[in-house]
Amino acid sequence: MSKQGISRRDFLKAGGAAGAALAGATPLGNLARVAAQSDQTINVLTVGDPWDLALRSVTDQFTEATGITVNIETLGYTALQARLINAFLTQSADADVIAVDQMWISQMADNGWIRSLDDFIGMDSDANFDDFLPECLYSLSTWRNQVWTLPIASYAQGIMYRTDLFEAAGIDPLPSSVADAGMWTWEDYFGILEQINGMDLDGTSMYGTTVIGFQPVPVVHMYSQLSASYGTRWFTQFPEAPWDFSPTINSEANVAALHDWKRLYELSPPESINYLWFDAGTRYSQGDIGMFFHWTPYFYLVNNEGYLTGTPSPVVDKTATAVLPTLTAGGDQVVSLGGWSLGMPSTSGNQEAAWQFIKWATGAEAQKAMGEVNVKGHQFADFSRQSNYDDAGLNEIYPFLDTQLEMMKLGDGKVVRPPAPIYTSLEGVYGLQINQAMTGAVSPEQALETTETLFQNILSGNQMIPYGIESFDDTLENTKALQASLSGM
Amino acid sequence: MRNRYTWNRRLPYLLLAPSVIVLLALILYPLAFALCNSFWFWNLQMGPAPLYYSGLDNYRLVFQVTPFWVALKNTLLLGFLGTFAQFWFGMGIALLLHTHLRGTGLMRALLIMPTTLAPVVAGFLFRYLLEPKGGLLLWALEGIGFPVPPQGFLGNANTALLSIGAVDTWQWTPFFAIVLYAGLLSINEEVKEAAQVDGASAWRMFWSITLPLLRPIAAFLVMIRFMQLFNSFDLVFVLTSGGPGTASRTLSFNLYREGLVNYNIGLTAAMTWLVVIIVSVIINLYLFFIYRKREW
Repeated sequence: MSKQGISRRDFLKAGGAAGAALAGATPLGNLARVAAQSDQTINVLTVGDPWDLALRSVTDQFTEATGITVNIETLGYTALQARLINAFLTQSADADVIAVDQMWISQMADNGWIRSLDDFIGMDSDANFDDFLPECLYSLSTWRNQVWTLPIASYAQGIMYRTDLFEAAGIDPLPSSVADAGMWTWEDYFGILEQINGMDLDGTSMYGTTVIGFQPVPVVHMYSQLSASYGTRWFTQFPEAPWDFSPTINSEANVAALHDWKRLYELSPPESINYLWFDAGTRYSQGDIGMFFHWTPYFYLVNNEGYLTGTPSPVVDKTATAVLPTLTAGGDQVVSLGGWSLGMPSTSGNQEAAWQFIKWATGAEAQKAMGEVNVKGHQFADFSRQSNYDDAGLNEIYPFLDTQLEMMKLGDGKVVRPPAPIYTSLEGVYGLQINQAMTGAVSPEQALETTETLFQNILSGNQMIPYGIESFDDTLENTKALQASLSGM
Repeated sequence: MRNRYTWNRRLPYLLLAPSVIVLLALILYPLAFALCNSFWFWNLQMGPAPLYYSGLDNYRLVFQVTPFWVALKNTLLLGFLGTFAQFWFGMGIALLLHTHLRGTGLMRALLIMPTTLAPVVAGFLFRYLLEPKGGLLLWALEGIGFPVPPQGFLGNANTALLSIGAVDTWQWTPFFAIVLYAGLLSINEEVKEAAQVDGASAWRMFWSITLPLLRPIAAFLVMIRFMQLFNSFDLVFVLTSGGPGTASRTLSFNLYREGLVNYNIGLTAAMTWLVVIIVSVIINLYLFFIYRKREW
């Protein structure tokens, strides 16, 4: 292996040039035309999330319409990441379409591992690109003013609570709309938890809430929502230009958030320190949790007793959803917006067919069909398009869609968990320190002080402080402008 | 005549050459490759190729950005305590088997079963058994009044590492028992009979005859298991993922995090070399003390 002292700037330039050359060399053809009765086969690598089950159930419709056979292979999160990186490094055409976590976009785009979809979108009016919620595109799919993926499943965060418990405790229903949430604060949230914690409901002793405590990734997913609501920002300046990755994680806001996170843990089952995402959802489904906040897929997942088991949970028809509270009455809100999107590896030899699949799977019709799949219950409501949220049939199946849409529109995946290069390393140390604070091994102040030092070391060690590469003013407004431009508006 | 002499002298080297080449390719090359990488900044999150020569920065970063010391402490605890427990439990079972009680044949067959499980399977098995809400083992322990932490054994910082050690001990004690039992069978009974005639107690015979005669086997077993425990990953990954906090972080788990989650190849290479040095020092010290008097 040769080792040359190239700079990252040179590398990015080379990657960009290679990407452009690849795009130019690809016969895009008339992308609006469906590849009728093609005998092509494409390989799709996805991740084991609920949307994967729904997608598999409707993929035959794509094959019937286009003649393109789709091989879907589903992997776990870590296995998918490892498989993709190995494929990219060895330049092997492992898949034609891949599921991309929002955190991988910067790495994959900057390295030229996936190709920009701008050309495809711009030349294909069938994509109905203007129908996407710009917040979803911004959080999941854009990087440096290009669209690299299209969202297949977007997740915001919101509250689920037991209506029967609230009734027994004489607590008013929570606001399901931002318009009604003017006075709805985190302090109110804690007040309710303290009131319901330990209550007896039909012979069951209730916990106020449950947290996701497992380190490092799961705990960051839940904690970062609370801390963002409290005003925490990770860096001095990002995503607005010029980027300055000097860490600001050890702020007063975050110290307050971590103290309150510990309060949340005290009102949760002690074993929730080891809970993954679905452990928390399943625990709520089992009936001894009063209220919790989580990713919006759990709005429907809690209807099952276990994770995708198909057995109705005891909390069906006893659960309502609500919007997240703010730190102060009527104050600003930032909602975590994450999820999965579909991208195209630069090495794919079937780029036209791959685009047809991406366009179809993220399109309004396929998304609706996924939402209507009833295998083990209805298991997909993670829409990214306005038309799906307006659909009467889908609203009947998923009555919480209005609340979910409001949370989506307050979503900002680039602030709550900023997808900066080396985010994974930062998340690793952050999650560990939050978990350490939960165990009581360190105080919240010590945990965040250590986090800030580690952030500084990691960011400096990776040449990100000072940031020597050109920044981009990565704002929602710029994504809206890009969306309008690619939609021909 | 001279040609034949030269040929005879070179033949052993020629016969050994294939093995030496394979050994070099499989051991020295990867180590040299890792050593080389440890001096380069190579993070796949930042780019697919090494970006620049970074000297000893990666070694410095091992201590600055990873929980190295706590992982080393946990790894040593797991290695020493696990090996110690497995050796003595295994010895006890081997001695019991050697008494030729009824059913020892069946016991031997049953004993080997945990060892045949993949560690990841054993991990999942115990994860469910130790589940705080409905775990069978936890329920049984609570039933007999055993103090169970509210977070469960895997969620408590004081018991997480011990739980990993206990599962490993459950799985690997039979291995010790069966190999030591084979060792016991190889001991000449006449030696024991002579000691009995001289009036030696069972305790004295164990310390002065059985144990010294088992030493060649025991020394090897202990070394192999210590090295395996030092590199434990599967059980840690499945049972606790190093948590809560850093309570059960081990060096292997650190390597996994940096190499296969953070994709920091340079840093991982530096950490690998530190682990190689630590294991080599421990094993060579062990071998020095064990083999310095080659009485057997």
